[in-house]
Amino acid sequence: MQRTTEAPSAVRPARSVQESPLSNESPAKSSGTPRISVTVDDTRQVRSLNVKAAVDNVNFYYGAHRALKNLSIPIADKQVTALIGPSGCGKSTFLRCFNRMHDLQPGTRYEGSITLHPDNLNLIGPGVDPIEVRMRIGMVFQKPNPFPKSIFENVAYGLRLRGVRNRATLAEEVEKALRGAALWDEAKDRLQDSALALSGGQMQRLCIARALATTPEILLFDEPTSALDPIATAKIEELISTLRDQVTVLIVTHNMQQAARVSDYTAFMYLGELIEFDEAAKIFTNPSKKATEDYITGRYG
Amino acid sequence: MPSLIDDDPVEGHTDRSFDAALSELRLHLVSMGGLAIDQVATSVRALLEGDDALARLVLSRESLVNDLERTIDREAFRLIALHQPVAGDLRMAKAASRIVVELERVGDEAKKIAKFAARLASGEPQGPVRAVARFLRNMADLTAGMLREAVRALDEANPDLARGVTTRDAELDEEFAAALRQVLTLAMQDQRFFSATIDTVFALKGMERIGDHAKNIAEQVVFVASGEDLRHVKRADGSPRNSLPRRPGERE
Repeated sequence: MQRTTEAPSAVRPARSVQESPLSNESPAKSSGTPRISVTVDDTRQVRSLNVKAAVDNVNFYYGAHRALKNLSIPIADKQVTALIGPSGCGKSTFLRCFNRMHDLQPGTRYEGSITLHPDNLNLIGPGVDPIEVRMRIGMVFQKPNPFPKSIFENVAYGLRLRGVRNRATLAEEVEKALRGAALWDEAKDRLQDSALALSGGQMQRLCIARALATTPEILLFDEPTSALDPIATAKIEELISTLRDQVTVLIVTHNMQQAARVSDYTAFMYLGELIEFDEAAKIFTNPSKKATEDYITGRYG
Repeated sequence: MPSLIDDDPVEGHTDRSFDAALSELRLHLVSMGGLAIDQVATSVRALLEGDDALARLVLSRESLVNDLERTIDREAFRLIALHQPVAGDLRMAKAASRIVVELERVGDEAKKIAKFAARLASGEPQGPVRAVARFLRNMADLTAGMLREAVRALDEANPDLARGVTTRDAELDEEFAAALRQVLTLAMQDQRFFSATIDTVFALKGMERIGDHAKNIAEQVVFVASGEDLRHVKRADGSPRNSLPRRPGERE
């Protein structure tokens, strides 16, 4: 893999990264995310991307079982990266590394680094407080899991945890988050109603609003629409597309069309390894690896 | 659990109906290709032998070509709607819609040649056709050969075979130019042949176009296999890829 610190123009032919470790020693500018150039092999052209998080040689163990094997992927800033692969390939395990969800389970171990830019914080570093990580990395789960509180309190919860007490500020931030999650129009007249009275799709958007309220830098989605009907799914997908203006999104999905629709970059994982990482348009029209082709065309499973 | 990364090829889609739809599409394309090849060969034979019955056979089969065009188009459309193909499957569905148009046009050219053959059989002067018979025969062999290889490449999903076809129409162009000179010389000598000369030029042009269609089909076969778009691609020296390699010192 070649890397340059110089930023080639974005109009250069779009290409990708894979196979080689993406080390994180590239100089982080205090003003933003570093720009690195990556390429696969001699035949593919160099493409530069703004990296929000650099995953470098990550291994993850459940006890003696190595669930993730030497993963290295750049997570592009303010873009949507989708993780696809058959059940058990490690995509959810990988996603959960980003906000240290595994810490709750004894016997697990991280190796390598996930460097969050611009301040080069290693999310899985041994000295790094998982609470700090979770303050910066939000997560939305498969099944909507609103708290049994009002709509307003669900969204305000994270802000209150952070010590926001001012009513006006809270109201303002809650509105902003609900607008960001495309739920404001439906919820503005019933903010004090129980969140549990919402429909499934609305609950999921509420969970997104709850995550957005604390202005996370990366938002993780673990199969966010698998419990929703097609219309609610379309709304969430549309929402994810608009979210990329404000936040870096990492999404695990079993729905290949969904990955094709919402993601800018797609990583295909298999048996804990990264098989291929590329632009979504490349993966879904002409993947480089046969294993990827077999999986996305449905010749496996 | 079947493995994705061992050397065993993964056989077919988990969804068998997807496989069935894809192979049916390919099968119909190849049948249509076979029919188109035969239409070309038969129409040229009708022309050279002045055989009215052969000309009528070509004209009567034109509707079969058209039916296959509609069938294949419908199948490719359904495949996209019902199976949401991606990657190689998607490229196949897209290429099928494109190949079917090329084959239909091959059929049209054969039809025009057959109509001319029928006119010759009913008394149109044969001088111009006789004058270029050798060229017509060569061009028919070349085009039928290119078409046959293009269709075989499609059938076998063989991009290397297809690549060979994409560089072969230069020879055809040279035959066309030589035949044109010949028939125009004759027309200038004897004005009674005016109408037959125009028909002959159209027949020659038709053969040349069929070569282009064969090349286009071959390009689609390469696209299906690798996603590579060969259309309008030039060689490193700037010459069109389908021309003969430039001789040393030769200029554009």
